[in-house]
Formats: sequence, structure tokens, C-alpha cells
Amino acid sequence: MTTWLSSHAVLVQSTLVSLLLALSIQVPLRAGVFSFAGVGSYAIGAYAAAIMTIRLQVAPVFAIGVGVVIAAVAGYLLALLVARLAGLYLGMATIAFALFLGVVAVNGGELTGGATGLYGAISTLTTGHVVAITGIVVLLLAVSERGAFGRRVDAVREDPQLAVSLGIDVGRVRRRVFVVSGALGACAGGMNSLLRTTVSPETIGFHLVVTALTMIIVGGALSWAGAAIGAVIFTWLPTVLQFVGDWQPVVYGVLVALAAVYMPTGLLGVAQSAWRRARRRGLPADEQDRPQADDPERALAALQEARP
Amino acid sequence: MAQDVLNALTLGSLYLLFALGMSLAWGTIGVLNFAHGSIFMFSAFGAHLAVQAVPLPMPAMIAIGVGIGAVLSLAVQVLAFEPIQRRAADAHTAQLQIIVAGIGIAGIPLAVAQYVTRSVPFGYSAGTFEVTVHDLGPVRVTDVQVVILVAALGIAGLIAWWLRAARAGLALRAIGVDAEVAAMMGVDRRRLALLTMAVAGGLAGLAGVLLTYHLGSIAPETGDAFLLKAFAAIILGGVGSIAGVVIGAMVLAGIETLVLVTTSGTWAPAIAFGVLFAMLLVRPRGLLGRMEVRRT
Repeated sequence: MTTWLSSHAVLVQSTLVSLLLALSIQVPLRAGVFSFAGVGSYAIGAYAAAIMTIRLQVAPVFAIGVGVVIAAVAGYLLALLVARLAGLYLGMATIAFALFLGVVAVNGGELTGGATGLYGAISTLTTGHVVAITGIVVLLLAVSERGAFGRRVDAVREDPQLAVSLGIDVGRVRRRVFVVSGALGACAGGMNSLLRTTVSPETIGFHLVVTALTMIIVGGALSWAGAAIGAVIFTWLPTVLQFVGDWQPVVYGVLVALAAVYMPTGLLGVAQSAWRRARRRGLPADEQDRPQADDPERALAALQEARP
Repeated sequence: MAQDVLNALTLGSLYLLFALGMSLAWGTIGVLNFAHGSIFMFSAFGAHLAVQAVPLPMPAMIAIGVGIGAVLSLAVQVLAFEPIQRRAADAHTAQLQIIVAGIGIAGIPLAVAQYVTRSVPFGYSAGTFEVTVHDLGPVRVTDVQVVILVAALGIAGLIAWWLRAARAGLALRAIGVDAEVAAMMGVDRRRLALLTMAVAGGLAGLAGVLLTYHLGSIAPETGDAFLLKAFAAIILGGVGSIAGVVIGAMVLAGIETLVLVTTSGTWAPAIAFGVLFAMLLVRPRGLLGRMEVRRT
């Protein structure tokens, strides 16, 4: 295990960084908020960690932590600003926010290193730390998907009006989601800067939006597990696809398009429905008509339970 | 000064040609095509391949570009967006899936063009068309600029008139208000959607060929930059409004030119994002957009 880990350290690192970035888009999506602010937070975290490490030589936990705090505050303020927007308009506004930060980085002068970026952010961050941080984050998110809080978030996504009528503060859930998304994105960006010891405007561009979104859609948008599946697939795909050589981007594009058309719930959704079908087939005939997980009555009960 | 205004108008006209079809498709049939920039670039690239084989005049090049754009756009609609709209549970999930499918598809023509050109900018120097420059008092105008201005404003006027006066235009606007009721009234949604996508793709192709003539050469990555600017132009003017896109494209080009002329220009790429963000905060439906009718 340890030998495998050390020989694949770079791949493992980029898988986990991609996972955190994907989660920063997936968490808002779970609450029905179509926000790419996580990509902007990635930029904030990446630059904050690099600047702190190069200028002040602080420990990696502080360097990343500063970025996480700034991005979480920025996420809260952004949530207040865009409170009126929803759907595609919200997506557009947050893409604009993320890409604007890229231009700010180019124009940041000495602080951000301009178009060439920053080099030499050498720290003591190891693969083990990254694994631990990602593990804790995933655990917390997995817990948040269960229980009353998880059901409240589901209600906000499925029907905001109904959620309000059940006494759920939709605005507060949305603001929280923006804060969490900001913290996750900044954590991913900060770790990436310190692992690669460098950050530049090219590394925080539009392609991050594309990468994060494709991971979630192919993996499955409604759970952290979907983002994990997507992160593993798209980080390891290039090594698998070496035999197609230069045509790799073409294969990549076809896979994403096929997934979007034929697997709207992602691989996770396909696996879940296959599991449910298999379990149903195993039941005796008289049990088949019994209420299943998707039963409206149980869904209603879950919504009512979510009332604080 | 007059020269700057002319340059801004030319740039605005190119944005307009590009964004017009996108805005129409978004505002009526609910398709926000992220592959639009790729179609735009690949049409110009296809015309480049044709001119490498046979020295062609400008009208033939434009016809090739428009043709490739329309065919690609139709292919995307039939192969990806139609199945999504047929299978999706509701309009909101369909929109999200259409965006992701568009992003995936956009990578395909881009990768092909990058592979063939090795990411070197391509142009039409092998063609028979020579740019001539006319001196009109304080300004110098090329005949390419004249073609761009006339095409953009002429086509925008034509589409605005068609939407207002023709029966099919009325039907398309009806889909934009309520697709299901429109279908009940006998509107053929599929045929109009295909027509809209073909027109949008054709206009993207036209914009691609004209941009290449205007600049001399373009890189395969130009499509992405245009896509983001088109979003800003559309949001600024109001989704689905033709007059809105005209104003949005011209205002965006005007501000960009102003910043390029008065500063060192490093902030120019941020203008589109800043304008987009500010507009969404102040007036999300744009300058001329109507309130979205929503019934739950």
C-alpha cells in the first residue's frame, strides 16, 4: 500500500484536489444552487496559500487556512449579493466572478506575480496530510447528507416553495452552502499550490469550471460519492487513454456528451437504480407492491421531519 | 477617435453575429449552446481547409462557413439536445444537462482543429480575396469591415422583422412564453427548434469566416473567448430580445475599445465578466428583457 502510494503520489494528490474542487460545486448543486463560486474560491485559496508561504514562511495549515477563511467570507458576501438570482443566471454570475479573479491575478503586480504567477511555494505538506484532510471533509459531508439537515437540503433543492411553507429558511441554507463551497474550493486551491509549489493565472481559468462540472455530472450530482467517482475517472483517464494518443481530448468530449445525454443521474445514479432493481427482484411476489424508497408518502414524512 | 468608433462598431457587429443565434435559441427553445464557440471556430477552420485545396473568392468562403456552421449546429441539436429534452424530467434539469453536453461537445471540434493546425493560427491567405483599404476623411475602412457591418445589422433587422411579422416568428415567440401551450395550439416545436439551431449555427459560421478575414488569422482557442463575451452581450441586452443583443454587443465592444485605447489593456478581458456580473446584480433580465413568466 505505502509503496503503491509513493509511486503514484502525484496522481493521488491530483485526484484528491480534484475531488475537493468537484465537491465545492456539488455541495451547492445538492441544494439546487447552480453556482461556480467554488472555482473562484479555488483561485483565492491557491494565491493566498502561495503568498503566505513565500512571503511569511508560515506552516501549510495556516497558509491554506487563511485562504479558506477568506474564501468562506467571500462566499457569504457573494451569497448576499446574488440572493435574487437562480438557475442559469446564477451560474453565469458565479462564472463571471471566478473568471474575473483570474484577470485580477494577472493585474495583481508583485503580490500575485502578474501573468507568470508565483514560484517557490515550498512547504512541508505531504500526500498523507492531503489524504487526511480530504478524508475528514468527505466524512463531514457524508454526515451532512443524512439526518434532518440532509433532508432539509433535499427539500430546498426539490421544491423551494414547499420548503419555505414547511418552515425551512431557504435563504439561510443557500448562504451556508455558499460558505461551505467557498471553504472547499479554497482548500483544494491552497493544497494544489503548495503541492506543485507554483500557481499562475493559466491554472485557474475556465477549464476548471469544465473539469469540475464534468466530474460531477459523469459521477453523479446528488452525493459526495458521485464527485469521488468522477474525480477518480477523470484524473486516471489520461493514463488509461494513452493508446488513443493525440485523440484523447476527442474521446474525452464524446464521453462527457454521452454521459450528459444518457446518464443524467451519473454513474452513481445508474448503480443505485440497478441495486434497487436487483433488491426488488429478490423480494417475494406479495412484497413487490410494498412502498419503496421513492414512495411519495415516505418522502412527505421525511420533509415533515425536516422541520426545525 | 472616429477610427476607434468604427473599430468598436466592427467588433460589436462580430459579437452581434455570434450572439444573435445563441440569444434566440436560449430565449425561445430553451437551449443554451456551450458548443456555439466551437462551431464558430470550426466553420472558419473548415473554410480554411477548403481554401488550402482550391483558391476561392470571399462569397464562396462565406457560403462554406455558413454551411458548416448550420450542419454542425443541427447535428448537435439532433444528436444531443433533442434526446436530452425528450428524456429530462423537467425544463430545469434539461437546461443543466444541455450545458454539460454542450461543454463536452465543444471539446471535440477544438481538439480536431488543434491537432491539425498544431495550435498555430490559421488564415485565408491562399484565397483570391485581397483586402482593400478605403480612406474616408479621418477614418480608414476596409471592405471586410463594410461587409461585417452590413451583414450584422442587416441580419439582426431581418430576424427582428421575421419574429414580429411572420407567422412562424410568432410561433417561435409563443414557444418561448409557454412551450406546451404553443404545442397545443398546433405549433411544430421540433421543426422550429431545428430551424432556430440551423440559423444560429449559420450565423456563427458567418461570424467565424468574417472574423478570420478581419484579423487575417485566428487561433483554434478564439471560440472560447467569444462564447464568454456573447454571454455578457446577451445578459446585458436581455435574453431573447433582438434589439437587446444589438445594444449589448455594441455596448460591450464600446467599453472594451475604450479601455484598450485609454489604458495598457491588461484589464480588457475582465470587462465582459464585470459587465455580466454587474448587470445580473442590478437588473437580471437585462436592459430590454421581459420578466420571466413562471407558474409553479
